[in-house]
Formats: sequence, structure tokens, C-alpha cells
Amino acid sequence: MNSSSTHFVTSRRIGIYEPLHQISTWGESFKTNGCPNTSASTIAELEAKLDNQSEDTSHGTPGPSEKYDQEATKPVDKVQRRLAQNREAARKSRLRKKAYVQELESSRVKLMQLEQELERARQQGLYIGGGLDAGHLGFSGAVNSGIAAFEMEYGHWVEEQSSQICELRTALHAHISDVELRILVETAMNHYFNLFRMKATAAKADVFYMMSGMWKTSAERFFLWIGGFRPSELLKVLVPQLDPLTDQQILDVCNLRQSCQQAEDALTQGMEKLQQILAEAVAAGQLGEGSYIPQLATALEKLEAVVSFVNQADHLRQETLQQMARILTVRQAARGLLALGEYFQRLRALSSLWATRPREPA
Amino acid sequence: MHQALPYRTWVPTTGGGNSVGPSSATIEPSDDPMNPGVGMKDVTCVKKMVSENAVIVFGRRGCCMCHVVMRLLLGLGVNPTVFEVDEEDEAAVVDELSRVIAGEDAKEGRPQFPAVFMGGQLFGGLERVMATHISGELVPILKKAGALWL
Repeated sequence: MNSSSTHFVTSRRIGIYEPLHQISTWGESFKTNGCPNTSASTIAELEAKLDNQSEDTSHGTPGPSEKYDQEATKPVDKVQRRLAQNREAARKSRLRKKAYVQELESSRVKLMQLEQELERARQQGLYIGGGLDAGHLGFSGAVNSGIAAFEMEYGHWVEEQSSQICELRTALHAHISDVELRILVETAMNHYFNLFRMKATAAKADVFYMMSGMWKTSAERFFLWIGGFRPSELLKVLVPQLDPLTDQQILDVCNLRQSCQQAEDALTQGMEKLQQILAEAVAAGQLGEGSYIPQLATALEKLEAVVSFVNQADHLRQETLQQMARILTVRQAARGLLALGEYFQRLRALSSLWATRPREPA
Repeated sequence: MHQALPYRTWVPTTGGGNSVGPSSATIEPSDDPMNPGVGMKDVTCVKKMVSENAVIVFGRRGCCMCHVVMRLLLGLGVNPTVFEVDEEDEAAVVDELSRVIAGEDAKEGRPQFPAVFMGGQLFGGLERVMATHISGELVPILKKAGALWL
């Protein structure tokens, strides 16, 4: 708070301005804290109220002082008046402080609400960077246009996904023909293939963004494996939803799950090798000398391989989807896609619930 | 005829099974004992290796995608031969492989690494191997090529 010197003068006239000066000091310091509208007007109101009160007091003082014209009572009169004015000033100061603290409290609540809103919006991919998220260390300021485009497209993708899920649900309940159902299934499948295409483009823009699943909600990210879900895990979720399956189908699905697992393991081991290579490249030479540009240049080249992994993992996801479509009947495929879609919706909802859960004040 | 190649895990120093013909074989030490690589300056051996191995994977040295293919095949019970290509030999090896392929359908064009050959023919890259495995067709092909015995 600005501590501009207030002149304490005995003169009655200047004494009147003293509390006003203090009021403006409270107001100044509060305005610089950046809460524009309501606070300023509240303060102005309060200032006006207090000004009126102080004017009443000042009008009041001449009255009694007229009675005490004798010299003997003059010093007492002055002392009394000064004490009264001091009390007045202190009272006004306390009221100002109370108003100030109340404004701070409400601003704090507003800030928390804004943070939550941003988190929600970011989870839906509508916000670029997510600077308030603890997972983003440092600057989100440098906006990568490729990633910005991806986030926007992804937002639309999720909306489209939701409407497709609704359509599938309605269609299955309405018992439409297999021919019509096949169209819905194809559309839903292509929607996923579009996502993989989008991801491939975005991976060229920022592969680490893709590897960390930054466009996904927090609960989805918990299951992250090379920039997305593990196909074998999704199969585990889906298969119980598809009953009844024929014996052949059960066998085929079993084989598919095993193949998925094997492919995933191979990719995981490849990733581990890449990590090892990268660590060796970064740590090459003496650690501690303080100069390391050549090592980083080598390491930079190795990073290109990460893009291939994201692409291969998505390719695996796509192949798994297609194989499932081959194994299942149209109706089963529709149910499977509906189940898968809702599974993702539930995970996103879980993330929102988690983000907005009641927390103890900091 | 397809040989059953001894797997390198048990032989930390390279040598044996893989070297074919005139051994101007510069056998580079591999960081990864699991990877039976043989670097050869004489690239004409390439053609012979393709025809003599049930499954052979050509890949750049230290390439992680090559590693993925290898782990996948290993997981299926296959003993793949891996030919690690040095950067300076890359062009020559690709040329040689193109000549090998040109005998069949020239549709594949110049092969990209990692390149998997099965039963003496170009099969494809990692993507094809993955796709074929997911669709359940890889194991029968491997058996047919003699890389797997039930």
C-alpha cells in the first residue's frame, strides 16, 4: 500500500482533509490490484458515504466550540475534537479495510471459478496451451499453429463423435435394416480413421504433444500408450458388451487380442530401445563440462524416430478396428462402436468430475 | 533350403551361421547382444542371404523400427536374421535389393528400411508385418516360408 505521508496538522480545516486522504490511499492501492468494475464503484460509494459522514462531523464541531469560547476550555476543546476526529478516521479506516478484504475474497472465488472453466474448456480441446495445468511446465505462450489447428479439429471431432453415438443408439433401438446400419458403422469407422490422419499431421508439428496425449482429458491420459489407447485394453472393454458371440467369433477375437498384445509389446520394446539410444546420445562425453551442443545435435536426429512410433501405434489401432469389423456382424459392430464411444464419453465425464470436485481452500 | 539359425543370445561374440561366402565379413560388435547383426562391405552377399534365409530383415544400424520388427518376429517363435546396414552402404544395399525384387513384380519399387524378406521374396515393411499379423495371416505365411514349424 502506498504510504504517502499524511500531514497531521492541528489546524481544523486541514484536519478535515486528513481522513479523505487516507480513503484515497486505500482506493489507490486497491485499484492497482486490477479488479476493475465493481470494486471501483463500491469504493467510490463507500468514499461518498464516508465523505458525507465526515462533513456532518465537521459541521457539528463548530457548534459545540462556540459554547466553549472561554480561554480555559479551548485546549480541552481542541484535544476533544482531535480525539473525535482520530476516532472517526480510525473507524473509517477499519471500514475501508473491511470493504477491501471483502473485495479480495470475492475476487479469489471468481479466480477459482475461472480456473475451473478454463480447465474444462481445455479438456474439450478448446483452449490452446493449457497454461494453468500443472502438467505444462513453463511457456505455453508459443502457440504451435499445427497443434492449434489439431486442437480445434479435435473439438469438432468430439462433437461429431457424440452425435454419431446418439445416432447409433437410436438406430439400434429402432431396429433399422442391416443395410442402413452398415452405413452408420462405416461412418463411425471412418471417423476414427480421420482422427488417425489428424494425429499423423499433428505429430509432424509436435510429436511430444502427441506422445503425452495433451489433447485428451486427464482420465484418458491415465491409460496412455504411445499417444493413445492400447488396442488390447479396448478389446477387453468391448468384448463383454458384444454377447452373444459364435464360437468362431470368440476364437477370432481371442486371436486378435493376442496379436494386438504381441504387436504392442514389440512397439513398446522398440520405444525402450529408442529411449536408451536417446539417453546415450544426450549423455555422451563428459557430463559436467558445461558444453554439449554436439551431443544435442545428435540427439535431435534421434527424435525423428518418435514420429514413426506414433504413426505405427495409430496404424495398429486402425488395423485392430478393421479386423473387429471383419469378425463381427453389422449389428454387433454397431453395438461395439456405440459401446466404445460411450466408454470414451464416460472417461471424459470422469475427468470433468475430477477437475471440479470440491477441494479445500488453498 | 532354409537353415535353422542359432540365435545369438547364447553366443555373445558374433561369428558362425550368418557369414556366407568370402569372409571379408567385417563383423561389427553389436551393443545389443540380442541382435545378430552382420555388417558386410561386400554387398553381393545380399542376394544370397535373401535366398538362403527363411526370414531376413534389412535395417539401418541402430534403427528402432527394425528392432520392433525383430521383437515381433521373435515373439512369434521366429529366428530372424537381421542385416544391419551402415549408412555408407545403404545406397549399395538398396540397389542390390532392388535388383533382387525386380525379378518379381516390380510394384514394390525401391525397398525402404526396415525391409522384411520371407522365403526369398520381399514381404514389406513394419506396417505390412503389423497389418498381416493383426489379420491373422502372418503366421501361415511364416510357416509357408519355413520360418516357423508348428
